[in-house]
Amino acid sequence: MTYISVENLSKRFGDTQALEDVSFEIPEGEFVVVLGASGSGKSTLLRCMNGLTKPTAGTITIGETEISEPHPDIAMIFQQHNIIGQMSAYANALTGSLQRTSFLRSVFQLNDTDEKYRALDALETVGLLDEARQRARQMSGGQQQRVGIARALVQEPNTLLADEPVASLDPGSSQQVMGYLLAAAQERNLTTVVSLHQVNLARQFGQRFIGLKDGQKVFDGYAEDFSLEVVDKIYDTVDVDRLTADEDDFADASDATDASSTADSTDEVMG
Amino acid sequence: MDVSQQVIDRYQNIRRKRRIRVTIALVLFVVVMSLFFQALVRVGFSVGELIRYGPQFLDALDQYFPQTTVYGIPFLDVWQYWDFIDERNLFSQAGITLAMGFAGTILGFPLALLFGVLGSGRVTPFPFNFIFRGVMSTIRAIPALVWALIYVPLGGVSPFTATMAIATDTIGNLGRLYTDELEEVEDGPIEAIETTGANRLQVISFGMLSQVHTPFIAWTLYIFEINVRIAVTLGIIGGGGLGQVLSTQQRLFQFTNMMATILVILTLIISVEIFSQRVRSYIRADEEPMGILELLKGFPQRMAESLGK
Ligand SMILES: Nc1ncnc2c1ncn2[C@@H]1O[C@H](COP(=O)(O)OP(=O)(O)OP(=O)(O)O)[C@@H](O)[C@H]1O
Ligand SMILES: [Mg+2]
Repeated sequence: MTYISVENLSKRFGDTQALEDVSFEIPEGEFVVVLGASGSGKSTLLRCMNGLTKPTAGTITIGETEISEPHPDIAMIFQQHNIIGQMSAYANALTGSLQRTSFLRSVFQLNDTDEKYRALDALETVGLLDEARQRARQMSGGQQQRVGIARALVQEPNTLLADEPVASLDPGSSQQVMGYLLAAAQERNLTTVVSLHQVNLARQFGQRFIGLKDGQKVFDGYAEDFSLEVVDKIYDTVDVDRLTADEDDFADASDATDASSTADSTDEVMG
Repeated sequence: MDVSQQVIDRYQNIRRKRRIRVTIALVLFVVVMSLFFQALVRVGFSVGELIRYGPQFLDALDQYFPQTTVYGIPFLDVWQYWDFIDERNLFSQAGITLAMGFAGTILGFPLALLFGVLGSGRVTPFPFNFIFRGVMSTIRAIPALVWALIYVPLGGVSPFTATMAIATDTIGNLGRLYTDELEEVEDGPIEAIETTGANRLQVISFGMLSQVHTPFIAWTLYIFEINVRIAVTLGIIGGGGLGQVLSTQQRLFQFTNMMATILVILTLIISVEIFSQRVRSYIRADEEPMGILELLKGFPQRMAESLGK
């Protein structure tokens, strides 16, 4: 069943055609990775999908809703995580429940007990329960990104959009954060669209792939069709030798991290 | 000397330009000096007066700094100051001045916050935010001293009306600082709060204000410092506290008492400044240093721990 439907989406910023006639459909519960070189329009696509940017042409429908402004059922995770540095991890997670809480209650942190449990539960999902009281500003980049994921989960969305959630993290933390993201999406049956620029990570975590190049969709398919030629097509200038070398590295890395982060987090979520 | 025509032309050119510059400078100098002279006439400044009243001022200096001798060596007679401070209970007067500054700050705060936030272009769309900025500019254009006079019908010049004047002044000054600070907030967190489906008020308080609450507290403390100083000034026109004591003693020509009052004013202002600066650096510091309170509270436990080892 189609859940997200993007039809003939175009976006122009002055002289720049950021997106050009992009269309695709995503069934409920799929984990989709958007790939593309810098400037290919990944951020613009995701920002249009949650209503932060108005498209020049085309429509986006998520569930029953045609998107024109931010919607509580759609949660967004940002590359710069955009959490509030002055507040604790817990208070940040709790801001996910704002649309269900009245103004005064939210200001004095008098949210329902259920919401508070939900915030702590989300922090547990991303492995930060013990750090709940810590000020966000004092946390590491990876931890801050996980607080951003927790906030998105507290929102209780149907759809999760993430714009390069690991672009500013080191490889180890990237693995970990992507692991938490995938586990949360599976546990809560969320339809997820993540933009990434690391092909390795995309392969490891993605179920379906959409490739953008200069604002146009140049690939749309599942893991089995996502070959090196496709990668070449998306990233014009990719050096295939270097990429295969990376793949070897990546095989080692994934052995190590499979055991530590991804598997751990899934255990945590289930247990 | 034998030089080319170009060199001569250039030389003439430089000389002409230089003469023009010197002439302009001379004219400017004459204009400024004549304005200065007229200003002196306007204020009735005269060297004759300075010479005539010079001894009188020296006399007064003697009273400002009364002397005593200890074993024949002249010393500043601080006991005379202390007698007056004690007799008039100047520390309790300092309390009134402090209260005026403090209450004025708190009373002005809500409207300063409201106008400051509404004056930001990110909260109120462009031409309309200038309504609030305009109100704040108008308030600022009128000095606190004049506000105190404007409030005279509320019951003369008193600590109460002086506090009202300080509160009004706070709206203009603090509100402006808030507005300026809000221009610095980042868009990211605001967008993030928008995507959670929060309403407008929640976006403003969580997306924007939460980013600036530390600087807001710091600015409020800074305005509090200034307000205590204004409270002294307002006392001089009858608003009570140290300022009023100072002006009374001046009218009685009690210069020693005046100096005693000035010393208490200095102590008050400097204490307030030290306090405010301590708090500001404390809240701005990333890792919170241990405060005096925590030090005291934690002491028994740390003591017990070290004994148990
Ligand atoms: N607000 C904006 N105003 C003007 N041009 C913009 C704006 N946002 C994006 N663009 C342009 O649109 C194009 C696509 O940008 P976009 O940010 O979507 O790319 P991206 O794939 O996310 O790149 P990156 O990997 O570097 O984040 C770029 O050429 C960019 O300069
Ligand atoms: Mg981007």
